Amino acid sequence: MGDEILTNLTKNRLMEIARRLEIRGRSRMTKAELIEAIQRAEPDAADPLPIRRPYDPAARRAALAARLDSFVDHTRSCNWRSIEGHPCGLPAIKEQPRCSIHGGIDIADVAVPANGRLGFDTWPTLLRHIWLASYDIDPIGLDPVVAEMFWHLANYLYFEYFRVEVEGVENLPTSGPALLAANHGGAALPYDAVMLTLAILNEMPVPRRARVMGTEIFNASPTLSHFYRKIGGVYASRADAGFLLERGHMVGTFPEGVRAFQKPFSQAYHVQRFGRGGFVTMAERHAAPVIPVAIVGSDEVHPALFSSQLLARLVRLIWPSQRVEEMAVYLNLIPLPIRWRIRFLKPIQPSHAGTDPDPLEMLERTEGIRLLIQTNLEEMLAERGSAI
Amino acid sequence: MRRILVTGAATWTGGHLIQHLEREPETEVLAIDEIEPRVGFDSDLFEFALDRPEFAHFVIDAKPDAVVHMQTVDRSALLGGRRAHDEAVVGAQALFGAIRRCESISQVVVKSNVCVYGMGPRNPSVVAEDAAVEGTRGRYARDLRSLEDYIELTASNRTDATFTVLRFAHIFGASVNNPLSRYLRLPVVPTRLGYDPRLQLISEHDVVRAVTHALANPVGGAFNVAAPGQQYLSRILRLGHRISQPLPRRAYDVAVKAMSRADLHLPGHVKRLVHHGLITDTRRMTDVLGFHPTYTLRQTVLAGYGVLPERAAP
Repeated sequence: MGDEILTNLTKNRLMEIARRLEIRGRSRMTKAELIEAIQRAEPDAADPLPIRRPYDPAARRAALAARLDSFVDHTRSCNWRSIEGHPCGLPAIKEQPRCSIHGGIDIADVAVPANGRLGFDTWPTLLRHIWLASYDIDPIGLDPVVAEMFWHLANYLYFEYFRVEVEGVENLPTSGPALLAANHGGAALPYDAVMLTLAILNEMPVPRRARVMGTEIFNASPTLSHFYRKIGGVYASRADAGFLLERGHMVGTFPEGVRAFQKPFSQAYHVQRFGRGGFVTMAERHAAPVIPVAIVGSDEVHPALFSSQLLARLVRLIWPSQRVEEMAVYLNLIPLPIRWRIRFLKPIQPSHAGTDPDPLEMLERTEGIRLLIQTNLEEMLAERGSAI
Repeated sequence: MRRILVTGAATWTGGHLIQHLEREPETEVLAIDEIEPRVGFDSDLFEFALDRPEFAHFVIDAKPDAVVHMQTVDRSALLGGRRAHDEAVVGAQALFGAIRRCESISQVVVKSNVCVYGMGPRNPSVVAEDAAVEGTRGRYARDLRSLEDYIELTASNRTDATFTVLRFAHIFGASVNNPLSRYLRLPVVPTRLGYDPRLQLISEHDVVRAVTHALANPVGGAFNVAAPGQQYLSRILRLGHRISQPLPRRAYDVAVKAMSRADLHLPGHVKRLVHHGLITDTRRMTDVLGFHPTYTLRQTVLAGYGVLPERAAP
């Protein structure tokens, strides 16, 4: 590659080339050092720059609709009938006698919209099935119809508001257990958990459900206690994670936990300590690969002004059941329209599957995953232009 | 001749179990209870309060081959809280003390309840038999816990006998008159605003089937027994065409108090169940015990509301 071409590129573009060439320590390099390193790594490579496609929500929605429609067979109806004789009225899954909510597919793993598409025009049929209580839920509490309605609504945030771009979908397995470990950020509402599940649903060839884990605060709060289960949430416990991984489902975790919500804005995208790394033990025990996920955008949606222990004490005084130790105060109530990027990294296969690794090894692997996410976040931030 | 001692003969499930055992050849039933049976049977009823030493001596002298402990229902509304507690805990001590001494007993089947795990926001979503659960336990659940402790202690001393603990999900059925069934059958059901618990239920017929299955196929250990499937409380009420009336906590407490005055007392474990819900893992039931309930959860609910026609008792 010519010297003059490289000097004309912006530093962000150079970073992108450096990432593709896997040049180490690139985040700390100046522009001149980057050019030198790129030339040293690949003196006469063809232009490795991919053309960055412009963000076009309409085209992406159309691609998603075509993919979802390919799962159902509109010529046949589901053969379910209620005890009173009501017919189902939904199209059957291809090569199955039933629709997606009446047992055509494993609702806990694959999410296919009941009508083969998302849209407000499908809501009357969905609400009818909720009213008839015609379908079963999964043992954790996933309700495929409520989850689908939520998917449809949250897609407006995903495509139009946060304009999420996704890389590395090919790193996600299309079947079998997997454990996602992502950086956490944001505010009281876990936008990143929603965007992470939507990224997998919207971009994967088979729309798999990532069952994201939440703390017991969800279980103890009114409305959220059942709503987070209905849309696919799981209580963060070894029992629940084990239950899902054993049955070959995908589980999403935010190993930073609530620590991520308490950091001030100056600490944005500084990945906090990963607890005791229980997620690595779970992955080893159930022979599941760990897929690190770097999410840019979540930390800027609600910039935290400061973090207060006094406020947390006040909250504990009013709701003694809440076990908060620190509370952050946020700048805004409405989320800022930040451009999001989610990058799925290469899966880390379990080293000795089926056993518990020794604590030191676990600690090292946990820290390795944390650093991997951290370097990827820094890269993505360097590549990104404006946050809005 | 197989001699089977059944406690709790006055309960619906106990009575039907005895009816079933009477039809089997070469079987003699010793029915034990202290109140009038709800279901008639031909065997002699021996009236004993379980917490009396006379009862323990009766068991030792009768030399049964198997013991089925069905008197594990919550009788606090009938006998008063303290008396029910004595009966449950001291009764368990007497019964299992006798089982330890009586060499002829080779099999013990106990009807327990899933509320032995306790319920609360920190429960795992699906509770397995050996899970360490930190949920809140009321008096009934604590009594069951101490009953299971006695079973464990006796089982370690009597390794020649099999001890089967069946932890049943809450029973719901058209012929059942337990607090949960009466609550679910109210025309307008008060529920906690903002909570929609996941429930597992079991039909009363499947309870009897499970106990007879355990008697015929002795496998030691504890098993969760529930109909396949689970559902949110709101959907269960929809299936029964009931109206659920969500109430904030204070109003809900007032409604529950009013119900207890109208002869519908909701015990603590049922109140906790319709607040937090409880789902158990029933894989050991199907894989190890080999028991398959005949009703799914949906059929249990519909039968309990009388929508599905009642099947013949086993």
